[in-house]
Amino acid sequence: MSSSLAPECSEKKERYDTCFIKWYSEKYLRGEGSTNECEGLFKEYKSCLDAALKQKGIHSMIEEARKTSPNNDNAKGLK
Amino acid sequence: MKVFESSCTFEYPWANVSIANWRKYGSWNTQSTHVVAVDTLSRSVDPRTGILTRHLKLRTERLITCKQNAPRWLMKIVGGAEESYVREVSSVDPQQQTVTLRSMNLTGSNIISVQETVVYSPDPSSPKTKTRFQQDAQITAYGAFSKICGAIEDWSVERFGQNALKGRLGFESVLEMSSKAFRDMKLEEGGWRR
Repeated sequence: MSSSLAPECSEKKERYDTCFIKWYSEKYLRGEGSTNECEGLFKEYKSCLDAALKQKGIHSMIEEARKTSPNNDNAKGLK
Repeated sequence: MKVFESSCTFEYPWANVSIANWRKYGSWNTQSTHVVAVDTLSRSVDPRTGILTRHLKLRTERLITCKQNAPRWLMKIVGGAEESYVREVSSVDPQQQTVTLRSMNLTGSNIISVQETVVYSPDPSSPKTKTRFQQDAQITAYGAFSKICGAIEDWSVERFGQNALKGRLGFESVLEMSSKAFRDMKLEEGGWRR
């Protein structure tokens, strides 16, 4: 698995990534993917990541991109 | 604006490739050293996409952190940021068997825009055992001096091509390792239900 941009979040990220890959390959691809069993681990990782993104000033760049980028939910093919 | 296009076929079934895609920039990829981190910003199974569970699309938003050397003249123009960030939004369609990844640079986006689209889908020649990789990127430099814009675009297209090649070689080893890890899951044939 890849590292996190914030080293302090890497452990939490690894726990989440491991859970996700297992869910994706064993459940989602087999059509049993409606439940989100990794949500708890994601929340832990995300709260760590969000703090780092704010500290590094990346958070506002992401927010801006979400608003202006054609690369979002409404983009062709992502509907 | 310059356009970069590339495509190739991986000798693995789509399900394997779509799994390995989430590990593309991990330790198994020793080629793509310019990607130093990949973080998941949000992820959701879209309940609007289908009535049946197996048709649900998966949407993922990721932040990719890159570190790469650029020529001094270019570093001066873009402000010399050591790390650069890319936002990627991807969609997995398990019914159509496609993974679509769209990404755009966050860093230096007032000077240059790099919009990339990658699609993984079953190769028409043998859809059960091979996967097609299609990549295109639109690279546009903004500025008053067309000569400088041209130079920035040329450098970016060249670097994009180098990184794309590294990405392909690196992904081959990820696929090999990933397939070993998941071999006992029998994803190759009957394990995957359409």
